[in-house]
Amino acid sequence: MEIKKTAMDGTLESSDIQITVSKGTNGVNIDLTSDVKERFGDDIIATIKKVASDFQLDNVNIKAVDQGALDCVIKARAITAIQRALGNSEEPAWEAL
Amino acid sequence: MDAQIRDINLANPDEFEEWKNFLESLGIANFSGAEVDPLDGTIGLFEGDKLVGTGSYSENILKYIGVCHKDTSNGVYFNKVVSSLLTRLGQLGVFHVFVFTKPQYSKSFQHVGFSEIVQSENAAFLETGNYNIKDYLAEIPHLAGDDISAIVMNANPFTLGHRYLVEAAAKRSKHVYVFVVSTDKSLFNSKERLELVKEGTKDLENVEVVSGGDYLVSYATFPSYFLKSDKSKVVYQTTIDALVFKEWIAKNLNIKTRFLGTEPESKTTDVYNEVLRDVLPPEVKVEVIPRKENGSGDIISARTVRLAIKNDNISSIRNIVPTSTYDFIENHLGELQDRIKKGMKIDGN
Repeated sequence: MEIKKTAMDGTLESSDIQITVSKGTNGVNIDLTSDVKERFGDDIIATIKKVASDFQLDNVNIKAVDQGALDCVIKARAITAIQRALGNSEEPAWEAL
Repeated sequence: MDAQIRDINLANPDEFEEWKNFLESLGIANFSGAEVDPLDGTIGLFEGDKLVGTGSYSENILKYIGVCHKDTSNGVYFNKVVSSLLTRLGQLGVFHVFVFTKPQYSKSFQHVGFSEIVQSENAAFLETGNYNIKDYLAEIPHLAGDDISAIVMNANPFTLGHRYLVEAAAKRSKHVYVFVVSTDKSLFNSKERLELVKEGTKDLENVEVVSGGDYLVSYATFPSYFLKSDKSKVVYQTTIDALVFKEWIAKNLNIKTRFLGTEPESKTTDVYNEVLRDVLPPEVKVEVIPRKENGSGDIISARTVRLAIKNDNISSIRNIVPTSTYDFIENHLGELQDRIKKGMKIDGN
Protein backbone atom coordinates (compact mmCIF):
# COMPACT_ATOMS: atom_id res chain seq x y z
CA MET A 1 0.00 0.00 0.00
CA GLU A 2 1.03 3.57 -0.59
CA ILE A 3 1.19 6.34 1.99
CA LYS A 4 -0.97 9.25 0.86
CA LYS A 5 -0.08 11.93 3.39
CA THR A 6 2.00 12.53 6.47
CA ALA A 7 0.35 11.65 9.77
CA MET A 8 1.34 11.46 13.40
CA ASP A 9 0.26 9.76 16.59
CA GLY A 10 1.52 9.67 20.16
CA THR A 11 3.13 12.23 22.42
CA LEU A 12 6.56 13.04 23.81
CA GLU A 13 5.48 12.32 27.35
CA SER A 14 7.04 9.67 29.54
CA SER A 15 6.17 6.04 28.57
CA ASP A 16 4.82 7.13 25.20
CA ILE A 17 6.23 7.22 21.68
CA GLN A 18 5.52 9.77 18.96
CA ILE A 19 5.38 8.24 15.51
CA THR A 20 5.29 10.27 12.28
CA VAL A 21 4.61 8.39 9.07
CA SER A 22 5.29 9.92 5.66
CA LYS A 23 5.70 8.98 2.04
CA GLY A 24 8.93 7.17 1.22
CA THR A 25 10.65 6.14 -1.99
CA ASN A 26 13.32 3.85 -0.76
CA GLY A 27 11.95 0.95 1.31
CA VAL A 28 10.92 1.10 4.95
CA ASN A 29 13.07 3.68 6.75
CA ILE A 30 12.80 4.10 10.49
CA ASP A 31 14.53 6.95 12.26
CA LEU A 32 14.48 6.31 16.02
CA THR A 33 15.31 8.70 18.84
CA SER A 34 15.33 7.00 22.25
CA ASP A 35 17.22 7.12 25.51
CA VAL A 36 17.15 3.35 25.57
CA LYS A 37 18.16 2.94 21.94
CA GLU A 38 21.29 1.04 22.82
CA ARG A 39 19.45 -1.65 24.78
CA PHE A 40 16.03 -1.72 23.12
CA GLY A 41 16.46 0.11 19.81
CA ASP A 42 16.42 -3.07 17.72
CA ASP A 43 13.25 -4.30 19.46
CA ILE A 44 11.46 -0.99 18.97
CA ILE A 45 12.40 -0.89 15.30
CA ALA A 46 11.34 -4.53 14.85
CA THR A 47 7.91 -3.79 16.37
CA ILE A 48 7.35 -0.83 14.05
CA LYS A 49 8.65 -2.79 11.03
CA LYS A 50 6.24 -5.62 11.78
CA VAL A 51 3.28 -3.20 11.78
CA ALA A 52 4.49 -1.62 8.53
CA SER A 53 4.74 -5.03 6.90
CA ASP A 54 1.28 -6.05 8.24
CA PHE A 55 -0.04 -3.05 6.32
CA GLN A 56 2.04 -4.11 3.30
CA LEU A 57 3.89 -0.83 3.11
CA ASP A 58 6.85 -1.09 0.76
CA ASN A 59 8.03 2.50 0.82
CA VAL A 60 7.57 4.59 3.91
CA ASN A 61 9.53 6.95 6.16
CA ILE A 62 8.80 6.58 9.86
CA LYS A 63 10.15 8.91 12.51
CA ALA A 64 9.83 7.56 16.04
CA VAL A 65 10.64 9.58 19.14
CA ASP A 66 10.49 7.21 22.10
CA GLN A 67 10.18 8.16 25.75
CA GLY A 68 10.30 4.62 27.10
CA ALA A 69 7.10 3.18 25.60
CA LEU A 70 6.09 -0.45 26.14
CA ASP A 71 5.75 -2.73 23.17
CA CYS A 72 1.95 -2.61 23.12
CA VAL A 73 2.05 1.20 23.12
CA ILE A 74 4.55 1.25 20.26
CA LYS A 75 2.33 -1.08 18.26
CA ALA A 76 -0.83 0.95 18.95
CA ARG A 77 0.81 4.26 18.05
CA ALA A 78 2.30 2.80 14.86
CA ILE A 79 -1.06 1.35 13.76
CA THR A 80 -2.89 4.64 14.35
CA ALA A 81 -0.24 6.77 12.63
CA ILE A 82 -0.19 4.45 9.61
CA GLN A 83 -3.98 4.31 9.37
CA ARG A 84 -4.15 8.09 9.47
CA ALA A 85 -1.47 8.30 6.79
CA LEU A 86 -3.42 5.85 4.63
CA GLY A 87 -6.64 7.76 5.23
CA ASN A 88 -8.54 4.72 6.57
CA SER A 89 -8.67 5.34 10.33
CA GLU A 90 -12.37 4.54 10.33
CA GLU A 91 -11.96 0.88 9.44
CA PRO A 92 -10.58 -1.66 11.88
CA ALA A 93 -7.07 -2.66 10.85
CA TRP A 94 -7.68 -6.40 10.59
CA GLU A 95 -4.34 -7.00 8.98
CA ALA A 96 -2.47 -5.60 11.96
CA LEU A 97 -4.57 -6.66 14.93
CA MET B 1 -1.35 17.86 40.52
CA ASP B 2 -1.69 16.89 36.92
CA ALA B 3 -0.92 19.83 34.66
CA GLN B 4 -3.30 20.64 31.82
CA ILE B 5 -2.69 22.20 28.43
CA ARG B 6 -4.98 25.10 27.54
CA ASP B 7 -4.95 27.76 24.86
CA ILE B 8 -3.68 31.21 25.79
CA ASN B 9 -5.30 34.11 24.01
CA LEU B 10 -2.62 36.81 23.78
CA ALA B 11 -5.18 39.33 22.54
CA ASN B 12 -6.70 39.24 26.03
CA PRO B 13 -4.66 41.74 28.12
CA ASP B 14 -4.90 39.69 31.35
CA GLU B 15 -3.72 36.50 29.69
CA PHE B 16 -0.99 38.40 27.85
CA GLU B 17 0.26 39.88 31.16
CA GLU B 18 0.38 36.50 32.86
CA TRP B 19 2.17 34.93 29.89
CA LYS B 20 4.65 37.79 29.65
CA ASN B 21 5.38 37.80 33.39
CA PHE B 22 5.94 34.07 33.32
CA LEU B 23 8.41 34.23 30.42
CA GLU B 24 10.17 37.24 31.94
CA SER B 25 10.73 35.24 35.11
CA LEU B 26 12.56 32.74 32.88
CA GLY B 27 14.75 35.41 31.28
CA ILE B 28 12.89 35.91 28.00
CA ALA B 29 12.68 39.65 27.41
CA ASN B 30 11.53 40.60 23.93
CA PHE B 31 7.79 41.12 23.59
CA SER B 32 7.72 43.70 20.81
CA GLY B 33 4.81 43.63 18.40
CA ALA B 34 7.10 42.54 15.56
CA GLU B 35 7.83 39.37 17.54
CA VAL B 36 4.48 38.67 19.14
CA ASP B 37 2.07 39.64 16.34
CA PRO B 38 3.15 36.92 13.88
CA LEU B 39 2.41 34.15 16.43
CA ASP B 40 -0.31 31.85 15.09
CA GLY B 41 -1.05 30.16 18.38
CA THR B 42 0.02 29.94 22.01
CA ILE B 43 -0.59 27.21 24.53
CA GLY B 44 -0.13 27.19 28.26
CA LEU B 45 0.47 24.37 30.70
CA PHE B 46 -1.43 25.01 33.92
CA GLU B 47 -1.30 23.51 37.40
CA GLY B 48 -4.78 24.57 38.42
CA ASP B 49 -4.70 28.28 37.63
CA LYS B 50 -0.95 28.61 37.74
CA LEU B 51 0.96 28.86 34.49
CA VAL B 52 3.94 26.48 34.57
CA GLY B 53 4.84 26.20 30.90
CA THR B 54 4.13 27.75 27.53
CA GLY B 55 4.97 27.56 23.86
CA SER B 56 3.90 29.29 20.64
CA TYR B 57 4.21 28.79 16.93
CA SER B 58 4.43 31.04 13.92
CA GLU B 59 3.92 29.08 10.70
CA ASN B 60 6.25 26.09 11.16
CA ILE B 61 8.53 27.65 13.77
CA LEU B 62 8.24 27.10 17.50
CA LYS B 63 8.69 30.23 19.60
CA TYR B 64 8.57 31.45 23.19
CA ILE B 65 8.98 28.07 24.78
CA GLY B 66 9.43 28.25 28.51
CA VAL B 67 8.74 25.88 31.38
CA CYS B 68 9.16 26.04 35.10
CA HIS B 69 10.08 22.65 36.49
CA LYS B 70 10.50 23.53 40.13
CA ASP B 71 8.04 20.85 41.21
CA THR B 72 8.60 18.13 38.63
CA SER B 73 11.48 16.06 37.40
CA ASN B 74 13.43 17.65 34.58
CA GLY B 75 11.91 17.64 31.17
CA VAL B 76 8.38 16.44 31.97
CA TYR B 77 6.74 19.82 31.33
CA PHE B 78 9.06 20.69 28.49
CA ASN B 79 8.18 17.46 26.68
CA LYS B 80 4.51 18.04 27.30
CA VAL B 81 4.62 21.56 25.83
CA VAL B 82 6.65 20.58 22.76
CA SER B 83 4.49 17.50 22.26
CA SER B 84 1.28 19.53 22.32
CA LEU B 85 2.71 22.06 19.88
CA LEU B 86 3.76 19.32 17.45
CA THR B 87 0.37 17.62 17.70
CA ARG B 88 -1.34 20.97 17.12
CA LEU B 89 0.81 21.69 14.06
CA GLY B 90 0.29 18.14 12.83
CA GLN B 91 -3.47 18.68 12.90
CA LEU B 92 -2.87 21.73 10.71
CA GLY B 93 -0.91 19.53 8.32
CA VAL B 94 2.47 20.95 9.35
CA PHE B 95 5.01 18.25 10.13
CA HIS B 96 8.31 19.89 9.29
CA VAL B 97 9.04 22.14 12.26
CA PHE B 98 11.92 24.42 13.19
CA VAL B 99 13.14 25.98 16.39
CA PHE B 100 15.67 28.67 17.20
CA THR B 101 16.96 28.38 20.73
CA LYS B 102 19.90 29.10 22.99
CA PRO B 103 22.72 26.59 22.59
CA GLN B 104 22.20 25.23 26.12
CA TYR B 105 18.66 24.06 25.21
CA SER B 106 19.68 22.29 22.03
CA LYS B 107 20.04 18.98 23.87
CA SER B 108 16.50 19.18 25.28
CA PHE B 109 15.11 19.52 21.77
CA GLN B 110 17.32 16.73 20.46
CA HIS B 111 15.93 14.55 23.22
CA VAL B 112 12.46 14.95 21.70
CA GLY B 113 13.57 14.12 18.17
CA PHE B 114 14.90 17.40 16.78
CA SER B 115 18.21 17.43 14.87
CA GLU B 116 20.56 20.32 15.18
CA ILE B 117 21.33 21.92 11.82
CA VAL B 118 23.83 24.53 13.02
CA GLN B 119 24.94 26.20 16.20
CA SER B 120 26.52 29.61 16.62
CA GLU B 121 27.93 31.19 19.75
CA ASN B 122 24.53 32.36 20.92
CA ALA B 123 21.94 30.35 19.03
CA ALA B 124 21.10 26.86 17.83
CA PHE B 125 18.83 26.05 14.90
CA LEU B 126 17.04 22.70 14.86
CA GLU B 127 14.38 20.90 12.85
CA THR B 128 12.17 17.86 13.17
CA GLY B 129 9.53 16.03 11.17
CA ASN B 130 9.02 14.39 7.84
CA TYR B 131 11.61 16.41 5.91
CA ASN B 132 15.12 17.64 6.65
CA ILE B 133 17.99 19.53 5.11
CA LYS B 134 19.41 16.33 3.63
CA ASP B 135 16.15 15.76 1.74
CA TYR B 136 16.36 19.34 0.47
CA LEU B 137 19.93 18.87 -0.73
CA ALA B 138 19.03 15.58 -2.43
CA GLU B 139 16.43 17.44 -4.54
CA ILE B 140 19.00 19.85 -5.98
CA PRO B 141 20.87 18.78 -9.11
CA HIS B 142 24.51 18.24 -8.22
CA LEU B 143 26.91 19.83 -10.70
CA ALA B 144 30.34 18.42 -11.43
CA GLY B 145 33.56 20.34 -11.09
CA ASP B 146 35.36 22.54 -8.63
CA ASP B 147 34.57 25.97 -9.91
CA ILE B 148 31.02 26.36 -8.62
CA SER B 149 29.56 29.55 -7.23
CA ALA B 150 26.23 30.65 -5.79
CA ILE B 151 23.96 33.66 -5.51
CA VAL B 152 20.96 33.97 -3.22
CA MET B 153 18.22 36.38 -4.25
CA ASN B 154 14.65 37.23 -3.42
CA ALA B 155 14.17 38.78 -6.88
CA ASN B 156 10.91 40.55 -6.09
CA PRO B 157 10.78 40.70 -9.12
CA PHE B 158 13.75 39.75 -11.29
CA THR B 159 15.32 42.91 -12.83
CA LEU B 160 18.22 43.63 -15.14
CA GLY B 161 20.16 44.37 -11.94
CA HIS B 162 19.75 40.75 -10.86
CA ARG B 163 20.53 39.66 -14.39
CA TYR B 164 23.76 41.68 -14.29
CA LEU B 165 24.81 39.95 -11.06
CA VAL B 166 24.05 36.49 -12.47
CA GLU B 167 25.93 37.26 -15.70
CA ALA B 168 28.97 38.48 -13.76
CA ALA B 169 28.99 35.28 -11.71
CA ALA B 170 28.46 33.14 -14.81
CA LYS B 171 31.48 34.71 -16.46
CA ARG B 172 33.71 34.21 -13.46
CA SER B 173 32.85 30.63 -12.60
CA LYS B 174 32.08 27.44 -14.42
CA HIS B 175 28.70 26.84 -12.81
CA VAL B 176 26.40 29.13 -10.87
CA TYR B 177 23.57 28.15 -8.56
CA VAL B 178 20.95 30.84 -8.17
CA PHE B 179 18.93 30.19 -5.01
CA VAL B 180 15.62 32.00 -4.99
CA VAL B 181 14.19 32.79 -1.57
CA SER B 182 11.03 30.75 -1.19
CA THR B 183 9.27 32.45 1.72
CA ASP B 184 5.97 33.95 0.64
CA LYS B 185 6.14 37.38 2.23
CA SER B 186 6.78 39.43 -0.88
CA LEU B 187 4.64 41.08 -3.53
CA PHE B 188 5.58 38.43 -6.08
CA ASN B 189 4.97 34.98 -4.61
CA SER B 190 7.70 32.37 -4.51
CA LYS B 191 6.51 30.49 -7.57
CA GLU B 192 6.34 33.66 -9.64
CA ARG B 193 9.77 34.84 -8.49
CA LEU B 194 11.38 31.47 -9.20
CA GLU B 195 9.74 31.30 -12.63
CA LEU B 196 10.84 34.84 -13.56
CA VAL B 197 14.43 34.13 -12.54
CA LYS B 198 14.37 30.95 -14.63
CA GLU B 199 12.88 32.78 -17.61
CA GLY B 200 15.28 35.69 -17.28
CA THR B 201 18.40 33.48 -17.21
CA LYS B 202 17.28 30.82 -19.66
CA ASP B 203 20.01 31.70 -22.16
CA LEU B 204 22.82 31.31 -19.63
CA GLU B 205 23.79 27.68 -19.94
CA ASN B 206 25.92 27.39 -16.82
CA VAL B 207 23.25 28.78 -14.50
CA GLU B 208 21.09 26.48 -12.38
CA VAL B 209 18.09 28.17 -10.74
CA VAL B 210 16.74 26.43 -7.62
CA SER B 211 14.48 27.22 -4.71
CA GLY B 212 16.11 28.22 -1.43
CA GLY B 213 13.51 26.13 0.41
CA ASP B 214 13.29 26.63 4.14
CA TYR B 215 17.02 26.97 4.44
CA LEU B 216 18.19 30.16 2.72
CA VAL B 217 17.00 33.57 3.87
CA SER B 218 13.74 31.93 4.80
CA TYR B 219 11.19 33.05 7.31
CA ALA B 220 12.63 30.28 9.51
CA THR B 221 16.32 31.18 9.32
CA PHE B 222 16.08 34.90 8.90
CA PRO B 223 12.76 36.48 9.97
CA SER B 224 14.28 39.98 10.17
CA TYR B 225 14.63 39.99 6.42
CA PHE B 226 10.85 40.09 6.32
CA LEU B 227 10.15 41.99 9.55
CA LYS B 228 11.71 45.23 10.70
CA SER B 229 14.33 44.48 13.37
CA ASP B 230 17.26 46.04 15.14
CA LYS B 231 20.81 45.35 14.11
CA SER B 232 21.84 42.88 16.82
CA LYS B 233 18.92 40.67 15.90
CA VAL B 234 19.85 40.77 12.25
CA VAL B 235 23.42 39.76 13.07
CA TYR B 236 22.23 36.90 15.23
CA GLN B 237 19.90 35.54 12.56
CA THR B 238 22.17 36.11 9.58
CA THR B 239 24.93 34.24 11.39
CA ILE B 240 22.67 31.18 11.51
CA ASP B 241 21.72 31.68 7.86
CA ALA B 242 25.38 32.00 6.86
CA LEU B 243 26.31 28.88 8.83
CA VAL B 244 23.54 26.86 7.15
CA PHE B 245 24.89 27.95 3.79
CA LYS B 246 28.49 27.17 4.67
CA GLU B 247 28.14 23.94 6.63
CA TRP B 248 25.40 22.29 4.57
CA ILE B 249 24.66 23.85 1.22
CA ALA B 250 28.12 24.92 0.08
CA LYS B 251 29.72 21.80 1.52
CA ASN B 252 27.25 19.42 -0.10
CA LEU B 253 27.08 21.13 -3.50
CA ASN B 254 30.80 21.95 -3.59
CA ILE B 255 30.19 25.69 -3.84
CA LYS B 256 33.43 27.63 -3.56
CA THR B 257 32.30 31.22 -4.08
CA ARG B 258 29.29 33.22 -2.98
CA PHE B 259 28.57 36.30 -5.06
CA LEU B 260 26.82 39.22 -3.38
CA GLY B 261 25.17 42.27 -4.79
CA THR B 262 25.45 45.55 -2.92
CA GLU B 263 22.29 47.11 -1.55
CA PRO B 264 22.87 50.74 -0.66
CA GLU B 265 19.21 51.23 0.21
CA SER B 266 18.77 48.31 2.59
CA LYS B 267 20.54 48.26 5.96
CA THR B 268 19.47 44.67 6.54
CA THR B 269 21.19 43.51 3.36
CA ASP B 270 24.30 45.49 4.37
CA VAL B 271 24.50 43.73 7.72
CA TYR B 272 23.80 40.39 6.06
CA ASN B 273 26.65 40.90 3.60
CA GLU B 274 28.96 41.88 6.44
CA VAL B 275 28.12 38.69 8.34
CA LEU B 276 28.61 36.55 5.23
CA ARG B 277 32.07 38.02 4.74
CA ASP B 278 32.77 37.20 8.35
CA VAL B 279 31.43 33.63 8.46
CA LEU B 280 31.95 32.05 5.03
CA PRO B 281 35.72 32.29 4.39
CA PRO B 282 38.02 30.49 4.02
CA GLU B 283 35.84 27.54 2.88
CA VAL B 284 33.68 29.79 0.72
CA LYS B 285 35.07 32.90 -0.91
CA VAL B 286 32.87 36.00 -0.90
CA GLU B 287 32.86 38.31 -3.90
CA VAL B 288 30.91 41.52 -4.12
CA ILE B 289 29.63 42.72 -7.48
CA PRO B 290 28.83 46.44 -7.53
CA ARG B 291 25.34 47.39 -8.58
CA LYS B 292 24.43 47.97 -12.15
CA GLU B 293 23.43 51.54 -12.88
CA ASN B 294 21.06 52.56 -15.59
CA GLY B 295 22.17 55.22 -18.06
CA SER B 296 21.51 58.16 -15.78
CA GLY B 297 23.48 56.94 -12.79
CA ASP B 298 20.56 55.55 -10.77
CA ILE B 299 20.90 52.04 -9.51
CA ILE B 300 18.45 49.41 -10.64
CA SER B 301 16.22 48.32 -7.84
CA ALA B 302 13.29 45.92 -7.64
CA ARG B 303 11.68 48.44 -5.33
CA THR B 304 11.42 50.87 -8.25
CA VAL B 305 9.53 48.18 -10.13
CA ARG B 306 7.13 47.59 -7.25
CA LEU B 307 6.52 51.32 -6.92
CA ALA B 308 5.76 51.59 -10.63
CA ILE B 309 3.22 48.79 -10.24
CA LYS B 310 1.60 50.60 -7.35
CA ASN B 311 1.56 53.92 -9.22
CA ASP B 312 0.24 52.30 -12.39
CA ASN B 313 3.20 53.54 -14.34
CA ILE B 314 4.85 50.40 -15.62
CA SER B 315 6.06 51.77 -18.92
CA SER B 316 8.72 53.59 -16.84
CA ILE B 317 10.38 50.30 -15.92
CA ARG B 318 10.58 48.81 -19.39
CA ASN B 319 14.34 49.38 -19.56
CA ILE B 320 15.22 47.96 -16.13
CA VAL B 321 13.56 44.54 -16.33
CA PRO B 322 13.94 41.68 -18.81
CA THR B 323 11.11 41.20 -21.31
CA SER B 324 9.95 38.08 -19.47
CA THR B 325 9.45 40.07 -16.24
CA TYR B 326 7.83 42.97 -18.08
CA ASP B 327 5.37 40.71 -19.88
CA PHE B 328 4.46 39.00 -16.64
CA ILE B 329 3.79 42.32 -14.91
CA GLU B 330 1.76 43.59 -17.85
CA ASN B 331 -0.37 40.45 -17.88
CA HIS B 332 -0.91 40.38 -14.11
CA LEU B 333 -0.98 44.07 -13.32
CA GLY B 334 -4.47 44.10 -11.80
CA GLU B 335 -3.71 41.11 -9.58
CA LEU B 336 -0.42 42.62 -8.35
CA GLN B 337 -2.08 45.95 -7.62
CA ASP B 338 -4.80 44.10 -5.73
CA ARG B 339 -2.18 42.49 -3.53
CA ILE B 340 -0.74 45.94 -2.72
CA LYS B 341 -4.21 47.26 -1.95
CA LYS B 342 -4.79 44.33 0.38
CA GLY B 343 -1.79 45.44 2.42
CA MET B 344 1.24 43.73 0.86
CA LYS B 345 4.23 45.89 1.77
CA ILE B 346 6.34 47.02 -1.16
CA ASP B 347 9.04 49.10 0.50
CA GLY B 348 10.78 46.27 2.40
CA ASN B 349 12.49 43.39 0.71
